[in-house]
Amino acid sequence: MSSVQEILGAFYDSSIFVYGLTLIIVYGVLAFLSIIAIRRYLNATQQSQLESLVTSPLAPGISILAPAYNEGLTIIANVRSLLTLNYPKFEIVLINDGSTDDSLEQLIQEFDMVAVDFAYNEKIRTKPVRNIYKSRNLAYSNLLVIDKANGKSKADAVNAGINAAAFDYFVCTDVDCVLHKDTLLELIKPVMQDGDRRVIAIGATLRIANSSEFDEGVMTRMRPPKAMLPRFQEVEYIRSFVLGKMGWSAMNCVPNVSGGLGLFDREIVIKSGGYDHKSFGEDMELLTRMCRYCEDNKIRYAVRYIPKTLCWTEGPASLQVFGRQRTRWARGLAQLMFAHRGVFLNPRYGRLGLVVFPYNFFFELLAPLVEASGVIVYLWLAFTGNVNWPYAILLLIFVYTYAIMITTFSILWDQLSFHYYKTVKEVLSLCIMPFLEFLLYHPLITFYSLKGYFFFLTNRRSSWGNMQRQGFKKAKTTT
Amino acid sequence: METTLSDILQEIRSIYYYAPLAIKIAIIFIFIAVTATVLAYLVMLRSRYRNFRQNRLLRKMLPIMDDLLINEIITNPNIPQDVVPSKVALNLEPFDALPLHRRWAREMLTARIIHYRNNVSGSAGDLLRNLYLQLDLDKDAMRKLKSRHWNRKVEALTEFTLMDMPISDVTILPLANSRNRELRAAARQAYIKLSKNEPFKFFDSVTDPLLPWDQVELFRIITTTTDIAIPNFARWITYSSNKSVVSFCMKLVVHFNQLAAVPAIIRLLENRDHVLRADAIEALGRLKIAEVEDKLVHLYTSQPLFCQIAILKALGRIRSGRHIDFLRNEFLHSTDFDLRKAAARAIVKNEVMARGVIDELLSTTTGENLLILKHCMNPLIKY
Repeated sequence: MSSVQEILGAFYDSSIFVYGLTLIIVYGVLAFLSIIAIRRYLNATQQSQLESLVTSPLAPGISILAPAYNEGLTIIANVRSLLTLNYPKFEIVLINDGSTDDSLEQLIQEFDMVAVDFAYNEKIRTKPVRNIYKSRNLAYSNLLVIDKANGKSKADAVNAGINAAAFDYFVCTDVDCVLHKDTLLELIKPVMQDGDRRVIAIGATLRIANSSEFDEGVMTRMRPPKAMLPRFQEVEYIRSFVLGKMGWSAMNCVPNVSGGLGLFDREIVIKSGGYDHKSFGEDMELLTRMCRYCEDNKIRYAVRYIPKTLCWTEGPASLQVFGRQRTRWARGLAQLMFAHRGVFLNPRYGRLGLVVFPYNFFFELLAPLVEASGVIVYLWLAFTGNVNWPYAILLLIFVYTYAIMITTFSILWDQLSFHYYKTVKEVLSLCIMPFLEFLLYHPLITFYSLKGYFFFLTNRRSSWGNMQRQGFKKAKTTT
Repeated sequence: METTLSDILQEIRSIYYYAPLAIKIAIIFIFIAVTATVLAYLVMLRSRYRNFRQNRLLRKMLPIMDDLLINEIITNPNIPQDVVPSKVALNLEPFDALPLHRRWAREMLTARIIHYRNNVSGSAGDLLRNLYLQLDLDKDAMRKLKSRHWNRKVEALTEFTLMDMPISDVTILPLANSRNRELRAAARQAYIKLSKNEPFKFFDSVTDPLLPWDQVELFRIITTTTDIAIPNFARWITYSSNKSVVSFCMKLVVHFNQLAAVPAIIRLLENRDHVLRADAIEALGRLKIAEVEDKLVHLYTSQPLFCQIAILKALGRIRSGRHIDFLRNEFLHSTDFDLRKAAARAIVKNEVMARGVIDELLSTTTGENLLILKHCMNPLIKY
């Protein structure tokens, strides 16, 4: 019996060792590739060319899809912000997903909108569309409002927007997100620059907006969040987008384009069936289906990321809302891996099957389970007096210092490339977070992930929940 | 007993020596991680300091440079008006106040000269270019052009293009065929803008696709540069084997309304490539070539969907009213939503001639078709 225990123990030890070492190498490779990708992006970016596109008749049209549910508090300012985007040919499709507040009435009044006979082609099935509105004011001629029955998901609302969109490309964003004025110019660039592959989706870096200043929906002063929880999220976003996504982008293995901001090829999205309204991670699920569609139909495709911050979103400031968000994300990941299990290690799906899925399975899906099992084993060994404390502490220091190094690198890449924050103090306030993340933030993420998996396994009913927005800080006006 | 640093190091060495592999790796990584993190912070602080210093210099130098450029060059009444601006011997003495022996100062001044050149017209622009030459600021760009780094070469080409500085064909043509996409694009843009001989020469030799992104800048340069002779683009539409060049030339034909190139475009309607065919149909529609309508209608049934949509759009743009029945038929009987919508829009665009048909359709059609028609007739709906 004890020999079985020893064999199991040795197997566990070696598995964890290989697992940890692989993860460390993967992060190292991502850090290396991301800096190359960022340098390449910076070298290839000429502001003059972006300006040429603004006045060019050759610019492809883009539809901006912004689903809204009970966003009456900020909806007018947010639409005004979208209207200021710098691009020659775009439309805004705002989808009022059966709001129970006065969002629609506000829109009708503010933008002088009337119901029109709109030829709505339901290429993707959605909840019924009640009415479609256009503005009588020429200044808002590129604004379209869809009023539909509540579909209980963002996916259903966006699908309605895809059906009504006029152009070949659409940008999906949340109506509460604040976009950089050059967002459309930046996002369309990789599509127009790739001669070898069809670029089916492009994402950009998102940031937490909580302590930044905004004026009429335009970001005027970028600050790291003052509150602890949003600041942890800011650091996490920097690591995820600037280091992670850029590294994956260099390998054409981007696993996900964030729901907060992404540009998509409309034809491929429609042929892939649109967003899945049953999914809890609808953005990642859609991208997986788009990639599968391309692989199945032998389309040489690419998914790209750009390191520049183009979108600011309000991060959850309370533990309750944060927990709900992360539980949903984890559940979405589990759902996705199960639904597309045929892709896992399937050479037919190229990089999607051999890189993206295995990475997501081993290092995203399994990571919380491995960590939880590690803690249990650790406690058991400590209880039975089988811990070699000097070695255990050394291993803990190793994991701790490595995690700090990787996060610090991502902050460094961000700082070297963009200089977003005005003062050293602000940068330092971010630099402190990697030291605390391991002890305070990471255990929370692990807990909510396990909760999400539990909900997935028990098929627990759960709602989208309200984000409980606090609104953005207004820029100080000088008199 | 007192513990010294060497004792601690000795202890670590002994732990390392007797430790299992996993622990040895961990110890190495701890050292790497700590060192790399400290270095990262130092680099971050250095970068912030450099940025701060640069901003301070900018704040200090920019008003001085702006004053000099405005008072000594742009609005200086002492500059002779009867001499060609490029030949005027400028008074460079006031510019001695600038630390032009420093590269950053030269780069800053060049950027300001470019900025002002973009915002002034006539002789002031030429005077600024003259100043740029007399201060030998072009030498930095020349050095950059010889750099091993492609991005430095791109910077130099952009500077020369903005300053209208001629570059010899021998220097620029190899760059126009460079393996690096960015450099290739910048060299082609510079060549079109600066070459005094045959600015469109590279169209003959280009084998790789002209990417849509590069086309935007080329289009801007070709359509806004005043002193280049615009050739007949039919030459490339007919003979180029590069589809992107053919497609791009059709866009230029439309922009310059080059009716002489129409026969070459019509010949493309027989091309095997349906993307090129769709581009040709679109170009003919935009040029409003009524003579080609019969041919388009004749081709219609044999085309893929997006060429069919292009044909319907072209009939809408030409607005001759000669094919209303064809459009009506497509609107009523096509099974594809997009085709019906394109047909309806074309009928509405032919409104003057199709008034009767529109009234008839409004009174007889129901359901989705009626909705499509009303959609296309509503002036509030653009697309």
